Amino acid sequence: MSPRGDQIAASPLGRLYRGQTAIDFYGKRKIGVIVAIVVVVVTLGSLFTRGLNLGLDFEGGQAWDVPATNGFDVDEAEAILDDNGVSTTGSKIQRRSPQGSDDDIIRIEIEVVPTETAATLSAEFAEAAGVEANEVTFSFTSASWGADITEKAVRALIIFLAVVVVFISIRFEWRMAVAGMVAMVHDVLFTVGVYTLFQFEVTPATVIAFLTILGYSLYDTIVVFDRVKENEGRFASVKMLYPDIVNISMNQVLMRSINTSISSILPVLSILFIGSGLLGADALREFGVALFVGMIAGVYSSIMVASPLLARLKQKSGRSQRRHRLTGDELRAAVVGAGVSGRVVSARGVGDDVDHDDRSDDVDVDKNAAVHSSADRVLTHPPRPRKKKRR
Amino acid sequence: MKTRLWASLLGTVLIVGALLVGNVAAGNSPQLGIDLQGGVSVILEPTEPATQDDLIVIRDLIRDELERTGIAEPDVRTQGSTIVVDLPGVRDTEEALSRVDVSGVVALRPVLFTAECQPLDGSNLDPDTDGATVSIDDTATPGAELLPTRDGTILCVGAAQGTGEVFERQSAEATLDQQGWGVAVGLRGGDGRAVWNNLANQCFNGAPTCPRTNPNSNGQIAIVLDSVVQSAPSVNTTNFGDSVAITGSFTQDEARDLARILNRGAFPVEVEAQEVEVISASAGSRALDAAVIAGLIGVALVLTFLLAYYRWLALVILTGLTVWASTVYVVATLVSEWTNFSLSLAGVTGIIVAVGVTVDSYVVFFERMKDEIRNGRTLKNAAPRSFAATWRTIWTADIVSVIGAAILFALSVGNVRGFALFLGITTLCDLFVCFFFTRPAVVLLARSNFMVGKRAFGLEVAQ
Repeated sequence: MSPRGDQIAASPLGRLYRGQTAIDFYGKRKIGVIVAIVVVVVTLGSLFTRGLNLGLDFEGGQAWDVPATNGFDVDEAEAILDDNGVSTTGSKIQRRSPQGSDDDIIRIEIEVVPTETAATLSAEFAEAAGVEANEVTFSFTSASWGADITEKAVRALIIFLAVVVVFISIRFEWRMAVAGMVAMVHDVLFTVGVYTLFQFEVTPATVIAFLTILGYSLYDTIVVFDRVKENEGRFASVKMLYPDIVNISMNQVLMRSINTSISSILPVLSILFIGSGLLGADALREFGVALFVGMIAGVYSSIMVASPLLARLKQKSGRSQRRHRLTGDELRAAVVGAGVSGRVVSARGVGDDVDHDDRSDDVDVDKNAAVHSSADRVLTHPPRPRKKKRR
Repeated sequence: MKTRLWASLLGTVLIVGALLVGNVAAGNSPQLGIDLQGGVSVILEPTEPATQDDLIVIRDLIRDELERTGIAEPDVRTQGSTIVVDLPGVRDTEEALSRVDVSGVVALRPVLFTAECQPLDGSNLDPDTDGATVSIDDTATPGAELLPTRDGTILCVGAAQGTGEVFERQSAEATLDQQGWGVAVGLRGGDGRAVWNNLANQCFNGAPTCPRTNPNSNGQIAIVLDSVVQSAPSVNTTNFGDSVAITGSFTQDEARDLARILNRGAFPVEVEAQEVEVISASAGSRALDAAVIAGLIGVALVLTFLLAYYRWLALVILTGLTVWASTVYVVATLVSEWTNFSLSLAGVTGIIVAVGVTVDSYVVFFERMKDEIRNGRTLKNAAPRSFAATWRTIWTADIVSVIGAAILFALSVGNVRGFALFLGITTLCDLFVCFFFTRPAVVLLARSNFMVGKRAFGLEVAQ
């Protein structure tokens, strides 16, 4: 027999599970600010000093055409690259079958490497294929991701973000648009920071990962803000402080955020560890790292960056500050009591629904009253009694 | 109400199921990108020596032209003095060759005569005389040539004085104003404008090198591509600024055609196909398998987690995700049938990531229901109310992704465009499944007696 839902659970985990947390997120806003400053400083600093490690598709590289003789194939080429300490992550190895010829060619394209390494590679490829060194052709390749691709993508992105700002401003309000954008930039910088700090190779797939993160960050922020907006309406009559509304909303969506992050991150972790780790698909590794970091940042920033920032922006917009902020049990009561569409159960048998509910339960009336008394205090007027038939 | 819910639920499952079975039975599957499946590669070589900058220009032109003709995400790069074009989703070498045959050099040549080439005197051409009947001395104009126009008449044109390079790259577009359809094309600053204005000057003044072939108009400049005079506008000014407007009795199609010709004709040198190769997947043979296996394991982990958390309600997630995945598969297949968009490794992983966002629709929904029930509602009562609130949230958040996908798809090229396509597909499928499957499924489940006495959200469900 499970306990009734509106008892406050004793353990923190239980409270989290039942949406009864009372974490003062707004009060911890300094953490968000400090982390954000660190992220911006480290990322920009590293970008200017170390830059990004751009891959083959952006910078061009070197290519070998090796006859596929003597059993020389893609895997062997990969092994040779590995042995010489050349990263295979950003490399492209293809088997090419020229028209009208029986002899296949293995083409190996890698980033530019020092001349000596290139010479060693040439020799080893020739040896592995069992041919003379001059039968291995060597050439330089250009980038396939031209400047105009970047240009068009950036232009599309700017237009997209402008449209999103307008959309959020209309659907919610402009302060939410600003807070959402800041959180999004924070997340992308966070991920770019990881790439520049660890000098991971940037491939077209990485760019796609950045875009995915950008979209995910916006998505998560909007889901969270939707609840803030809803609570704003709910507390409109009691002049609740905006930071309180934000705090209540964050606590209410906390379990959802955690569940969603777990659901989003599990597949990414699976790609990271099973795909690239166990199954050895290198192409997946850095893509997985980018997504992993970005998604965690996305969920974190919705709660720790976007929401406190929103509260700050709103606070300056002239709401009266006559009450101290809710914390502890008061906050908890507001989180639990005013959770959902309207009604608070304050005692046994108030509404018709509850009658059915209570059939099998022995409700501890006193406990209930204790829980909800503070909620009643928050909602200065008691919940409207339910009418049987509206209109 | 109940009938409608059942209709929506069963209709969705049946339609998606039928489409899936149909597609699988017909052997259709989403087309895979060059990194996963390989394709055909064509090696192009310039017909005359070209600088590295020329090759880069050619690379960009070829890519643009390929995307315009419906080849999505081609991989084009220079290698040594050649240009390598990898085409995804093209299995046929013949087709590949005809697809990459997009290069061309537009030549700008003065029109000398309207019917046949005649020796040109060079000095005493009377502008009032019909060019075809002028009698002149024996020296033939060097470089003069008889070329057909698009409608079949013959023009005699002089030697080329410029190429399509005088125009700003990709700047030509069809325009519509009071005079009807026309074409506007930008002039490249510096020598581009100088070359064009030099030629325009001769033609405007009816100089011997570009005489008036028709007494009522100035000399004409022939725009020649593939040895066909594509258009021969007469020149109405001597000094062109940033752009040239070509007007005339164009139809919309003709104007678009000419704009396209000017755009693609800006190749600095001609290139021709040297070699065609069938290529294997570049991401390594294991990459797709690894991505799919890892993805499935990931999804299985997610389902296990949700099952542990939501208990019986997770059944809805399981079937919902199946419907979603089938829908994505069907749509991706149809898109592959109609267009050349292919699923690259990034796309596959993108879809796996989209699982998370899709699961979020359920999590938001169920968390809301949990709150409602905890506050004293019955499951039956909580389900439709929670959906109303959830739908608003999901709709708002998903529409942002859809806007993003649409804008990125419309305005960008290459990989980014492919990403946008699949982002749009997965998000729209999420909205579709959420409304037409999840809503009726949960509401009906909440009404039925199935959930009574079973555990969901850690609460025992009472009637």
